[in-house]
Amino acid sequence: MKISHNWLKEYIDISLKPAVLAENLSKVGLEVGGYEDFAAKYEKFVVGEVLERGNHPNADRLSLCKVNVGSEVLEIVCGAPNVAAGQKVPVALVGATIPRNQHDPEGKSFTLERAHIRGIQSNGMICSSFELGLGEDANGILVLKRSAKPGMPFAKFLGLTDVLYDMEVTANRGDWLSHIGVAREIQMITGKKASLIRTRIKESKTLTKNHATIRILDEQKCRRYSSRVLKNVKLGPSPQWMQDRLQSVGIRPINNIVDVTNYVLMETGQPLHAFDYDTLAGHAIVVKCAAEGEKFTTLDGKERILKADTLMICDGERPVAIAGVMGGANTEISEGTTTVLIESANFDPSSVRRTSKYLGLSTDASQRFERGVDIEMTLYAANRAAQLIQEFTGAEVLKGSIDVYPKKARPTFVSLRVKRTNAVLGTSLSKQEIISSLRRLELIPAAQTKETVKFRVPSFRYDIAEEIDLIEEVARAYGYDNVETKTRMTVDFSKPLRTTSLQDEIRNYLIGAGFNEILTYSLQDRVKGHLMADKAVEVLNPVSAEASVLRTSLVPGALTVVQHNRSHGQKDLRLFEIGNVFGLRGEKPEKTLDAYVEEERLLVLLSGNVISAQYGSEHRTADLFDLKGEIQALISKFCLDKYRFIYYDSASALIESALAVEINGTYAGFLGEVGKSIAQRFDIDGALFVCELRVSDLQRGWATEKKLIPLPRFPGVHRDLAFVVNAGIQHETVARGIREAGGTLLANLVLFDLYVGDQIGAGNKSLAYSLEFQPLDRTLTDREIDAEVLRIVKHVEATCNAKLRAL
Amino acid sequence: MTEKINQVRVAFDNELSGAVTGDELEQVRVKFLSRNGAIAQLFEEMKSVPAAEKPVLGKLLNTLKNAAQGAFDERKKTLSQSKEQRTRSIDLTLPGRPKPIGTKHPLTQTMDEIKKIFMTMGFSVATGPEIETDYYNFGALNFPPEHPARDMQDTFFIAKDILLRTHTSPVQIRTMEQQRPPVREIMPGRVYRNEAVSARSLVSFHQIEGLYVDRGVTFSDLKGTLVAFAHQFYGKDVKFKFRPTFFPFTEPSADMYISCFLCKGEGCRMCKFVGWLEIMGSGMVHPHVLQNVGYDPEVFTGFAFGMGIERIACLRYGVDDLRLFYENDVRFLQQF
Ligand SMILES: [Zn+2]
Repeated sequence: MKISHNWLKEYIDISLKPAVLAENLSKVGLEVGGYEDFAAKYEKFVVGEVLERGNHPNADRLSLCKVNVGSEVLEIVCGAPNVAAGQKVPVALVGATIPRNQHDPEGKSFTLERAHIRGIQSNGMICSSFELGLGEDANGILVLKRSAKPGMPFAKFLGLTDVLYDMEVTANRGDWLSHIGVAREIQMITGKKASLIRTRIKESKTLTKNHATIRILDEQKCRRYSSRVLKNVKLGPSPQWMQDRLQSVGIRPINNIVDVTNYVLMETGQPLHAFDYDTLAGHAIVVKCAAEGEKFTTLDGKERILKADTLMICDGERPVAIAGVMGGANTEISEGTTTVLIESANFDPSSVRRTSKYLGLSTDASQRFERGVDIEMTLYAANRAAQLIQEFTGAEVLKGSIDVYPKKARPTFVSLRVKRTNAVLGTSLSKQEIISSLRRLELIPAAQTKETVKFRVPSFRYDIAEEIDLIEEVARAYGYDNVETKTRMTVDFSKPLRTTSLQDEIRNYLIGAGFNEILTYSLQDRVKGHLMADKAVEVLNPVSAEASVLRTSLVPGALTVVQHNRSHGQKDLRLFEIGNVFGLRGEKPEKTLDAYVEEERLLVLLSGNVISAQYGSEHRTADLFDLKGEIQALISKFCLDKYRFIYYDSASALIESALAVEINGTYAGFLGEVGKSIAQRFDIDGALFVCELRVSDLQRGWATEKKLIPLPRFPGVHRDLAFVVNAGIQHETVARGIREAGGTLLANLVLFDLYVGDQIGAGNKSLAYSLEFQPLDRTLTDREIDAEVLRIVKHVEATCNAKLRAL
Repeated sequence: MTEKINQVRVAFDNELSGAVTGDELEQVRVKFLSRNGAIAQLFEEMKSVPAAEKPVLGKLLNTLKNAAQGAFDERKKTLSQSKEQRTRSIDLTLPGRPKPIGTKHPLTQTMDEIKKIFMTMGFSVATGPEIETDYYNFGALNFPPEHPARDMQDTFFIAKDILLRTHTSPVQIRTMEQQRPPVREIMPGRVYRNEAVSARSLVSFHQIEGLYVDRGVTFSDLKGTLVAFAHQFYGKDVKFKFRPTFFPFTEPSADMYISCFLCKGEGCRMCKFVGWLEIMGSGMVHPHVLQNVGYDPEVFTGFAFGMGIERIACLRYGVDDLRLFYENDVRFLQQF
């Protein structure tokens, strides 16, 4: 929202410099995003006239000029090749800040001083458009038009005497969307009175009410409708000053009638609409809702389909405007218009908002109605518009206005407790201080007790309805800066503090194990979203197809990361992510949260070399067992030994050689190799291993409380055994056999060699294990161990059809 | 004479043990063991001692000479050996065996640091779902059903009344519903906004929100707590200011700014030449919100605050394209 400094001055006396005003407005919450004060920027720049140009006595390329700057004639040294007598030029006087220095690499600004250039004193500077910050031309001075008057301030010459503030208006303050609204805020800052311009209209004898009728059929949606009728209007351009003002705040001038309605809108915040009176059937206005599906063409030439709750302005026969949003083409002001009916109405905010949203049509009018418009402003605005049109066109204003106001709004009164105010803000303000600061906001005390003040809320303050709203006003008026910044704080330990989470621990562990944490988008395209699951949660109103489905797994996102890194030459990847994935419990989205699954998962990915190319050792690419080892270590760390891997025949092409991970008897996720066909979709040609686990399952098994298991006091004994078995026999089967026979004495079992080859016959393999026997209560004798080993060997030979291999 | 021999022995022992380089060792040799060295000198002097003393002194001197020569040879050997080891048998300039370097994502790092600071102030961590109801995301937070305030946060919808949360504030409601004051929680998480993707905006990002509700909590406490945080996180010398703003769920509401830590308030590209950086939104919890969770606003007051992690990480690390955080280029990740 653009607000003009000069325009504001119509309503309030402002002596503050724009920079100070901007800072003060930001301090009370009306944020000034930016502004350019040309009068300040070009404070010591004037129009000059080059009277004489001579050569500098000591330098060939420099000129010595006599320049008339209005009040005096200055000698100025100039280096520009294009300077000549008779020119009108921009002159910076001593003390001016030159916006850009063309001799500085960064073009930094500098302050002009009286200087001796090659022995001659120069008392100013003739500037290029680069130096002025007006353009990029640094090759010569800027030559102004001949009519420019020497001595005229340069900003004035440019017509840049105004300051335009870019205001960021918060959603609660519709009243700030006008110059009077901003002026009222300045009233709070400076205490000077803000007021609207008095309207004076010369009315004719003809009575308005005999020439037009207005009826409101929906009093809920239209709370007030004020109107004026003007005859003998001569359509034409509005005066230049008004066109300039409208343009300065970003409104395109159209004609004197439309310009006046826009001007009054920017002045008062009251949206107006002008109808061509002669096109209104029966010279009537009827405010009512549309028929469902009814069609209507708006001013912009677009046909709109209306709904049964769309409030319309109609004439005696048909709709002529969408209330509070946009007028219709059928009653538009045009060349032939001679009589005008001005609408100045107040519409229900949510009704306007619904209509604007439904039509996808947001206008200056709808934006204001949505936020709330001062209901007491309609009549003034209609009169103000009539006055201006009469002033510009000499139109005849019919006598009296029509003002349909079915239920006059009662003023709002809100009470404020002084003690409560201080209790919320942490201040110690007195009642009197509060009253005097709120008075500047036109909040008038209507009644008071020792502790409480009842304020009358002005009609333009839609946002004030209860005590906390007044407390906020007190805080703004008192100044946030003035509220003490309390540095003493009490720490409260009445509730147990959890300073770390499993997620933190997993992160730290994996980082220590050399993994890089990644974070990927949770909104994906359809293909990725459905890669790992058939049912996915979809967004009804996506911005783009790439972000329309909530991820069902962390795998597709990770594959995208692998793809990116591989395409940049990074092939050895160790990645992990912790994040939420989503799903549908039933067949389709429902309107309760129970219909959706949201669970946190951990993804771990290995790709490329696990042992990189190095001296003295062979490099080795990752295989499934590298990842399995990492996951075993991770789960062991957090869930002790309550887990196992189950081989399952993955039917999908996504994950090959898959293992299900079970923790505490519950399926917690899987690990495996990403299927070739999937990898290829992501342009990945090497092998890729992933594991995805539910964090809640790790959490359930996470042993946060730990108890010492006493260390063995007696020495353990190692024995190695190797079995030759049929290649079809799994390690797990043999290991189970060893454990079963070994009983409690067998503390540890490690597979240390796997051999396939001629020595043991085709179709066989050799599995070599290192066994550790650990007694708890005594030292084992060799005989005991031999017996133990013999039992194991017999058992394994019997159950696994194995043969002991001599070691 | 006996005394002289002892003196030479002590001096030799001292100097030999002090010699660590070949040059120093050579000096010891010249001083004691050479033809004109101290020991040779003693043999010279032997010529002039009385004959009766000669056998004893001679033995003593010979012992010294042999011991010194032996000690010297021994030392010379070890010295040259260690030198040889250094230079020949092991190339100590070989690189260490490569190890993969793990890294925490910069956004997680930023979030962790913020969490840690608030935890030391007694805040705990709470989380909530990303798929939310209209009630938790808007209604309970005092967003009127038909109000432009809803436009502040463009929303992704999943079904009627089901949406992707636009802020972490629903967790405030969920937390307060589950416990009685005092409530002192921070709430990190992912949020979603229906906006076009660019270097400056993404459809989802991370927020961290905080809530403190108890008896007697004031706007003054809000300022104190957030300034304490800013001083810990951005440095003791940053200046700060609070400016009024509007959020439906807090009143009064305040945006917090700190002086630009890059240019110290002079104005630079990062702070868009204003010298200040907006770092978070905050405010006193609106009485309606307290009522919605069954707290009596006459008894309890509180403040809430929230900040965007991506924005803070961008400022911290000088990242000017948000998308880099989600591209996960390992060359990017390994810088943090
Ligand atoms: Zn800066």
